[in-house]
Amino acid sequence: MKTFNAPIAGANYTADIRNYPWHRPPDISNYDEGVDSLLGKLKEPETHELVFSMLDLDMPISTVVSTLMMQSISKGKFAIDLSILMAGPVARYISIIADSQNVKYDMGVGDADRIKITPTSLKMALGILEADEAEEIDEATEEAPAAVSEGLMGAPELAQITQASDDEQASMLGLNVEEEEPTNGMA
Amino acid sequence: MKFEDAVKKSIKAFMQGKAPSATTAINKDGLFYSPEYFDDLEKTLMEEAPKKAKKSTGSL
Repeated sequence: MKTFNAPIAGANYTADIRNYPWHRPPDISNYDEGVDSLLGKLKEPETHELVFSMLDLDMPISTVVSTLMMQSISKGKFAIDLSILMAGPVARYISIIADSQNVKYDMGVGDADRIKITPTSLKMALGILEADEAEEIDEATEEAPAAVSEGLMGAPELAQITQASDDEQASMLGLNVEEEEPTNGMA
Repeated sequence: MKFEDAVKKSIKAFMQGKAPSATTAINKDGLFYSPEYFDDLEKTLMEEAPKKAKKSTGSL
Protein backbone atom coordinates (compact mmCIF):
# COMPACT_ATOMS: atom_id res chain seq x y z
CA MET A 1 0.00 0.00 0.00
CA LYS A 2 1.31 3.41 -0.92
CA THR A 3 1.77 5.96 1.83
CA PHE A 4 0.70 9.48 1.07
CA ASN A 5 3.38 12.12 1.44
CA ALA A 6 1.21 15.22 1.23
CA PRO A 7 -0.72 17.47 3.59
CA ILE A 8 -4.13 16.31 4.72
CA ALA A 9 -6.85 17.82 2.55
CA GLY A 10 -8.17 20.95 4.23
CA ALA A 11 -5.17 21.31 6.55
CA ASN A 12 -4.71 24.85 5.30
CA TYR A 13 -8.06 25.80 6.87
CA THR A 14 -6.83 24.77 10.33
CA ALA A 15 -4.08 27.43 10.49
CA ASP A 16 -4.32 31.19 10.51
CA ILE A 17 -2.99 32.17 7.09
CA ARG A 18 -2.57 35.81 8.11
CA ASN A 19 0.21 35.13 10.58
CA TYR A 20 2.93 36.78 8.52
CA PRO A 21 2.95 40.01 6.48
CA TRP A 22 3.74 38.10 3.28
CA HIS A 23 0.61 36.01 3.79
CA ARG A 24 -1.51 39.12 3.35
CA PRO A 25 -1.97 41.10 0.11
CA PRO A 26 1.06 43.38 -0.44
CA ASP A 27 0.84 47.11 0.26
CA ILE A 28 2.07 48.00 -3.23
CA SER A 29 1.29 46.04 -6.38
CA ASN A 30 2.11 48.66 -9.02
CA TYR A 31 5.56 48.69 -10.63
CA ASP A 32 6.03 52.46 -10.77
CA GLU A 33 4.68 52.98 -7.26
CA GLY A 34 6.99 50.27 -5.97
CA VAL A 35 10.10 51.70 -7.64
CA ASP A 36 9.11 55.18 -6.43
CA SER A 37 8.79 53.88 -2.88
CA LEU A 38 12.18 52.11 -3.01
CA LEU A 39 13.98 55.12 -4.52
CA GLY A 40 12.40 57.28 -1.81
CA LYS A 41 13.67 54.84 0.79
CA LEU A 42 17.17 54.96 -0.73
CA LYS A 43 17.16 58.75 -0.35
CA GLU A 44 16.65 58.42 3.41
CA PRO A 45 19.98 59.05 5.20
CA GLU A 46 19.93 55.74 7.13
CA THR A 47 19.32 53.57 4.05
CA HIS A 48 21.74 55.65 1.97
CA GLU A 49 24.50 55.17 4.55
CA LEU A 50 23.74 51.47 4.85
CA VAL A 51 23.84 50.90 1.09
CA PHE A 52 27.12 52.77 0.59
CA SER A 53 28.69 51.08 3.61
CA MET A 54 27.83 47.73 2.02
CA LEU A 55 29.40 48.88 -1.26
CA ASP A 56 32.51 49.98 0.65
CA LEU A 57 32.73 46.43 2.00
CA ASP A 58 33.01 45.25 -1.65
CA MET A 59 29.52 43.78 -1.64
CA PRO A 60 28.08 43.55 -5.14
CA ILE A 61 25.03 45.70 -5.96
CA SER A 62 22.98 42.56 -6.66
CA THR A 63 23.47 41.46 -3.02
CA VAL A 64 22.56 44.93 -1.74
CA VAL A 65 19.39 44.93 -3.85
CA SER A 66 18.47 41.40 -2.73
CA THR A 67 18.82 42.49 0.89
CA LEU A 68 16.62 45.54 0.36
CA MET A 69 14.01 43.45 -1.44
CA MET A 70 13.98 40.76 1.26
CA GLN A 71 13.41 43.46 3.88
CA SER A 72 10.45 44.87 1.97
CA ILE A 73 8.99 41.42 1.26
CA SER A 74 9.26 40.41 4.91
CA LYS A 75 7.34 43.57 5.86
CA GLY A 76 4.64 42.75 3.33
CA LYS A 77 5.32 45.79 1.19
CA PHE A 78 5.74 44.00 -2.14
CA ALA A 79 5.07 40.56 -3.56
CA ILE A 80 8.12 38.49 -4.50
CA ASP A 81 7.50 38.63 -8.26
CA LEU A 82 7.11 42.42 -8.29
CA SER A 83 10.28 42.83 -6.24
CA ILE A 84 12.20 40.76 -8.83
CA LEU A 85 10.90 43.09 -11.56
CA MET A 86 11.95 46.13 -9.53
CA ALA A 87 15.46 44.82 -8.86
CA GLY A 88 16.75 46.18 -12.19
CA PRO A 89 15.70 49.83 -11.72
CA VAL A 90 16.89 49.87 -8.10
CA ALA A 91 20.29 48.42 -9.04
CA ARG A 92 20.60 50.93 -11.89
CA TYR A 93 19.76 53.80 -9.53
CA ILE A 94 22.36 52.68 -6.98
CA SER A 95 24.99 52.39 -9.74
CA ILE A 96 24.20 55.91 -11.00
CA ILE A 97 24.48 57.41 -7.51
CA ALA A 98 27.72 55.47 -6.89
CA ASP A 99 29.15 56.76 -10.20
CA SER A 100 28.23 60.34 -9.36
CA GLN A 101 29.95 60.01 -5.96
CA ASN A 102 32.99 58.17 -7.38
CA VAL A 103 32.28 55.06 -5.35
CA LYS A 104 33.69 51.85 -6.81
CA TYR A 105 31.19 49.01 -7.13
CA ASP A 106 30.59 45.63 -8.69
CA MET A 107 27.20 44.85 -10.20
CA GLY A 108 27.55 41.16 -9.26
CA VAL A 109 25.87 39.90 -12.41
CA GLY A 110 29.03 38.87 -14.26
CA ASP A 111 30.19 35.37 -15.02
CA ALA A 112 33.27 35.51 -12.76
CA ASP A 113 32.34 32.25 -10.99
CA ARG A 114 31.84 30.40 -14.24
CA ILE A 115 34.41 27.75 -15.14
CA LYS A 116 35.94 28.65 -18.50
CA ILE A 117 35.53 26.16 -21.29
CA THR A 118 38.88 25.50 -22.94
CA PRO A 119 39.66 23.12 -25.82
CA THR A 120 41.44 20.80 -23.34
CA SER A 121 38.59 20.76 -20.84
CA LEU A 122 36.14 20.08 -23.64
CA LYS A 123 38.29 17.22 -24.97
CA MET A 124 38.56 15.79 -21.45
CA ALA A 125 34.79 15.97 -21.04
CA LEU A 126 34.24 14.23 -24.35
CA GLY A 127 37.00 11.69 -23.68
CA ILE A 128 38.90 12.49 -26.91
CA LEU A 129 42.12 13.69 -25.30
CA GLU A 130 45.23 12.93 -27.40
CA ALA A 131 48.05 10.83 -25.88
CA ASP A 132 50.58 13.71 -25.63
CA GLU A 133 48.10 15.98 -23.90
CA ALA A 134 47.04 13.22 -21.52
CA GLU A 135 50.69 12.63 -20.52
CA GLU A 136 51.20 16.34 -19.89
CA ILE A 137 48.14 16.45 -17.65
CA ASP A 138 49.28 13.29 -15.79
CA GLU A 139 52.72 14.79 -15.17
CA ALA A 140 51.16 17.97 -13.88
CA THR A 141 48.92 16.08 -11.47
CA GLU A 142 51.65 13.68 -10.32
CA GLU A 143 53.91 16.42 -8.97
CA ALA A 144 53.18 16.29 -5.28
CA PRO A 145 53.53 19.49 -3.30
CA ALA A 146 56.56 19.75 -1.01
CA ALA A 147 55.79 18.55 2.49
CA VAL A 148 55.79 21.19 5.18
CA SER A 149 58.50 20.31 7.68
CA GLU A 150 58.31 23.37 9.86
CA GLY A 151 56.04 23.99 12.76
CA LEU A 152 54.53 21.77 15.40
CA MET A 153 52.22 19.92 13.02
CA GLY A 154 54.72 19.67 10.15
CA ALA A 155 55.90 16.30 8.90
CA PRO A 156 59.33 15.30 10.34
CA GLU A 157 62.30 15.18 7.97
CA LEU A 158 63.84 11.80 7.12
CA ALA A 159 66.96 12.53 9.19
CA GLN A 160 64.80 13.10 12.25
CA ILE A 161 63.03 9.78 11.94
CA THR A 162 64.77 7.15 14.08
CA GLN A 163 63.70 3.56 14.21
CA ALA A 164 63.30 1.84 17.55
CA SER A 165 65.65 -1.06 18.28
CA ASP A 166 64.37 -4.65 18.26
CA ASP A 167 64.32 -4.80 22.10
CA GLU A 168 62.35 -1.56 22.30
CA GLN A 169 59.86 -2.79 19.74
CA ALA A 170 59.50 -6.11 21.56
CA SER A 171 58.91 -4.33 24.87
CA MET A 172 56.35 -2.08 23.23
CA LEU A 173 54.56 -5.19 22.00
CA GLY A 174 54.84 -6.78 25.45
CA LEU A 175 56.84 -9.76 24.19
CA ASN A 176 59.86 -9.71 26.54
CA VAL A 177 58.12 -8.73 29.75
CA GLU A 178 58.73 -11.26 32.47
CA GLU A 179 55.56 -12.32 34.16
CA GLU A 180 55.53 -11.61 37.88
CA GLU A 181 54.62 -14.51 40.05
CA PRO A 182 51.85 -13.78 42.56
CA THR A 183 52.95 -13.64 46.18
CA ASN A 184 51.15 -13.86 49.56
CA GLY A 185 49.94 -17.38 48.88
CA MET A 186 47.70 -16.43 45.99
CA ALA A 187 49.30 -19.11 43.73
CA MET B 1 16.24 29.17 -9.19
CA LYS B 2 17.05 31.03 -6.01
CA PHE B 3 15.72 34.50 -5.26
CA GLU B 4 19.23 35.97 -5.58
CA ASP B 5 19.65 34.39 -9.02
CA ALA B 6 16.32 35.82 -10.16
CA VAL B 7 17.39 39.25 -8.91
CA LYS B 8 20.69 38.97 -10.81
CA LYS B 9 18.86 37.95 -13.98
CA SER B 10 16.46 40.87 -13.63
CA ILE B 11 19.32 43.34 -13.09
CA LYS B 12 21.22 41.99 -16.09
CA ALA B 13 18.16 42.31 -18.33
CA PHE B 14 17.44 45.85 -17.16
CA MET B 15 21.05 46.92 -17.69
CA GLN B 16 20.75 45.65 -21.26
CA GLY B 17 17.83 48.05 -21.74
CA LYS B 18 15.05 45.50 -21.45
CA ALA B 19 11.91 46.60 -19.58
CA PRO B 20 9.32 44.12 -18.24
CA SER B 21 7.10 43.77 -21.31
CA ALA B 22 3.93 42.43 -19.64
CA THR B 23 4.06 45.19 -17.02
CA THR B 24 4.55 47.79 -19.75
CA ALA B 25 1.51 46.43 -21.60
CA ILE B 26 -0.71 46.86 -18.51
CA ASN B 27 0.14 50.54 -18.10
CA LYS B 28 -1.55 52.68 -20.75
CA ASP B 29 1.05 55.44 -20.54
CA GLY B 30 3.96 53.01 -20.36
CA LEU B 31 6.42 52.74 -17.53
CA PHE B 32 7.73 55.84 -15.85
CA TYR B 33 10.85 54.16 -14.45
CA SER B 34 12.01 52.78 -17.78
CA PRO B 35 15.66 52.22 -18.79
CA GLU B 36 15.47 55.54 -20.71
CA TYR B 37 14.45 57.39 -17.54
CA PHE B 38 17.60 56.14 -15.79
CA ASP B 39 19.76 57.03 -18.80
CA ASP B 40 18.48 60.61 -18.57
CA LEU B 41 18.97 60.64 -14.81
CA GLU B 42 22.55 59.46 -15.25
CA LYS B 43 23.26 62.22 -17.78
CA THR B 44 21.81 64.87 -15.49
CA LEU B 45 23.69 63.66 -12.43
CA MET B 46 26.99 63.32 -14.28
CA GLU B 47 26.63 66.85 -15.62
CA GLU B 48 25.86 68.15 -12.15
CA ALA B 49 28.75 66.29 -10.48
CA PRO B 50 31.63 68.37 -12.01
CA LYS B 51 29.75 71.61 -11.22
CA LYS B 52 29.42 70.58 -7.57
CA ALA B 53 33.08 69.62 -7.45
CA LYS B 54 34.07 73.04 -8.85
CA LYS B 55 31.85 74.79 -6.29
CA SER B 56 33.34 72.83 -3.40
CA THR B 57 36.93 73.53 -4.49
CA GLY B 58 36.07 77.20 -5.01
CA SER B 59 34.79 77.59 -1.45
CA LEU B 60 38.04 76.24 -0.05
